[in-house]
Amino acid sequence: MDIISGLWNGFAVALVPINLWWCFVGVFLGTVVGIMPGLGPPATIAMLLPLTFQMAPASAMIMLSGIYYGAKYGGSTTSILLNVPGESASVVTCLDGYQMARKGRAGAALGIAAIASFIAGTVGVLGLMLVAPPLAKFALSFSSPEYFALMVLGLAMVVLLAGRSMLKALLAMLVGLWIATMGTDLFSSTSRFTFGNMEMLDGIDFVVVAIGIFALGEVFCNMETREAAQVLPVPKGLRNLLPTMQDMKDCRFAFINGSLVGFITGVLPGAGSTIASFISYGIEKAVSKRRELFGTGIIEGVAAPEGANNSETGGALVPLLTLGIPGSGTTAILLAALVLWGFKPGPLLIQEHPDLFWGLVASMYIGNVMLLVLNLPLVPVFAQLLRLPVHILYPLIFGISIVGVYTVSGSLFDLSMLMAFGLLGYLMRKLDYPAAPMVLGLVLGDAMERALRQSLMMSQGDLMILVGRPISAVMLGLALLVLLVPVFGRLNRLRLQAIESEE
Amino acid sequence: MRSSVMILAAGIAGIFASSGLLAADGWKPTRPIEVVVHTGPGGGSDTLARAVASMIEKEKLLPVRMQVVNKTGGNGSVAAAYLAEKKGEVHTIGFFTGVWLVNPLVAAEAKVTLHELTTVARLVLEPAVIAVKADSPFKTMKDFIDEAKKAPGTLKQSGGSITSRDNVVRQLLQKSTGAQWAYISFPGGGERISALLGGHVNMMVIEPQEAGEHIRAGSMRLLAQVASKRLPSFPNVPLLKEAGFDIPVVPQVRGVVAPPGIPKENLDYWENLFRKFVQTAAWKKYLEDNQFEDGYQNSADLLKFVDAYSVQMTGILKDAGVKVVR
Repeated sequence: MDIISGLWNGFAVALVPINLWWCFVGVFLGTVVGIMPGLGPPATIAMLLPLTFQMAPASAMIMLSGIYYGAKYGGSTTSILLNVPGESASVVTCLDGYQMARKGRAGAALGIAAIASFIAGTVGVLGLMLVAPPLAKFALSFSSPEYFALMVLGLAMVVLLAGRSMLKALLAMLVGLWIATMGTDLFSSTSRFTFGNMEMLDGIDFVVVAIGIFALGEVFCNMETREAAQVLPVPKGLRNLLPTMQDMKDCRFAFINGSLVGFITGVLPGAGSTIASFISYGIEKAVSKRRELFGTGIIEGVAAPEGANNSETGGALVPLLTLGIPGSGTTAILLAALVLWGFKPGPLLIQEHPDLFWGLVASMYIGNVMLLVLNLPLVPVFAQLLRLPVHILYPLIFGISIVGVYTVSGSLFDLSMLMAFGLLGYLMRKLDYPAAPMVLGLVLGDAMERALRQSLMMSQGDLMILVGRPISAVMLGLALLVLLVPVFGRLNRLRLQAIESEE
Repeated sequence: MRSSVMILAAGIAGIFASSGLLAADGWKPTRPIEVVVHTGPGGGSDTLARAVASMIEKEKLLPVRMQVVNKTGGNGSVAAAYLAEKKGEVHTIGFFTGVWLVNPLVAAEAKVTLHELTTVARLVLEPAVIAVKADSPFKTMKDFIDEAKKAPGTLKQSGGSITSRDNVVRQLLQKSTGAQWAYISFPGGGERISALLGGHVNMMVIEPQEAGEHIRAGSMRLLAQVASKRLPSFPNVPLLKEAGFDIPVVPQVRGVVAPPGIPKENLDYWENLFRKFVQTAAWKKYLEDNQFEDGYQNSADLLKFVDAYSVQMTGILKDAGVKVVR
């Protein structure tokens, strides 16, 4: 009953015209920010923060959150069309999204990204509304051993992301893990692999690596082929641009998978939307009947990660609003915003300011509808981008990548890193090394190393802490299962061959 | 696109600034002031710099605008190096924190120490409090220390990097009492608090503002304060010294520096500006709202502080087993 009356009051707050307007401004800005590679929600929200001091706090919170989840919608656009990840959580979307675009199914990919985002985004808000307080308690029971197990589970996905050669996938993953160790070690303040560069003390930005490997690598590779004036196929007619009923059917599981994985990962302060998108992609592939088609442009490979990174937003707001604990860069800035508006974020926030919480929840339902309505009509518009001839398209990708990286840090060093990783991406493509395992290693490596060292410091060096706790034991078991998938597959094939030869 | 808007805004501000407000003696700024911070938008230094800029603007203490520029990377050393490169530049200042002091001590790559820049003013000292979970068996700081002596290495503290103030407080306490407990580093403040509230660690050094709500909600309890005098919001919590642990209060500092080799009139101008600024009611309210201590020092005093602090930190870090390179 509390929830119903709370939500009722929430809609009374969110449906006030001025709040509707700010909600729209937020999700619109969010979409734009998401589309622009590099510029992400944390920087945008921080820059707009001073403007919100004149606004009512509920309106301001509605707008800033709109930017947060709106950016997750926009992030997929450049991933799909140009292989340039719009933000770190959309890196996985490149894998199948860009391949779909190359097959002339850019519209379907963009459409399903918007639909998956809508469904999962709404599920995320439902979760925030219904189970926030108990879930926040559950999240607190997650300690370093559990995070370690989660990262191991994620890293086990490498066997699913491997292309033809498992050896090459593992090598690529090791390079990713190595890059993750670069910079200053948190535990000892020792510099690792900085090669005397001051800029390397912070390590290498994940977005720089991803844009270099995916976008520039692709451009370099295509420059070589010189198939002049080859234009990617774009079907005519609105109907052919949107996902079909069959597509929707193929994505049924991806919607559920993305929603749940994203939300749960979001609630954990030590994980984030990038990890959520990788794990949901891995799960999608693990349970799929057409596993071998992943990476060639398969629609559920877009729906799962795009869903996950949207429902992550609802999840990430759980510890922020129920405990005052920020789990990501964006929620940390929202926390600072709440403080500046005179709230005291903490365990009592919802109880003492129900209008803020319920107004925000209600506005997120409305905002997600707005985003769907805003994004679906844009699909045909964006899909036209691929009609550009390659001699315009590739320089465009090049330019967007450079601008994207430079706006984040304003550093020329990062640009030279971008070029270096572009060349690495080119070489990997030439030598048939898959890029996804490397990026996976880079995303998870840092968090995994940290969790392992924290665990061992807690247990004074006793490895049993990793397997002696129920949640981590279950996750490590799952990881083992995932690792055995290809072995079972091979055994099965051998068995079938044996049966055949006997007959 | 963003930077072009900024340049345009800066240009307009510059035109307005140069059109009239040039009078009086000594040096006066004629262009917008570039304010360098080492964190991205929303980070600690960035938030402080933007708040100070808007307060200075509101109080009309400066005839030109202040433009915050984020030079992130290298744990602060990119911003410090940027200032060092701007040798003699009169329209640039930067906001430093303790990281600018400690980073060159432990990272050979970070070549610019605060000593090589021009110190302008120390503004803020951030106090801290020592917190445990509400249902913790430790009622006083002494309880915790006694237990840590009885079973060395079993108690745990969550905190930031090994060079952070959290660990410095632990090192000093361990050295003066002979007790020992583990220090678990977490990169984010959220994770540190989660570890404490989840019962995975026993204690943490936390900013008073962060702790405030958890105390009010009954999920956290304080053992002691790391401050030079009791904070108004926690009148009943003893200082470490009052609790029987007379260790030096290690401050978390924030302040202003300028590029090296600036003319004397330029430095005088900045010193004057911040001397006037720290007396404004707006700044006093800001300190109070954030539970900061007024840490004002002028250029010469700050320079002395920097040297003393470096020596003190070198000793503490060496005790902590950190490799000190300078």
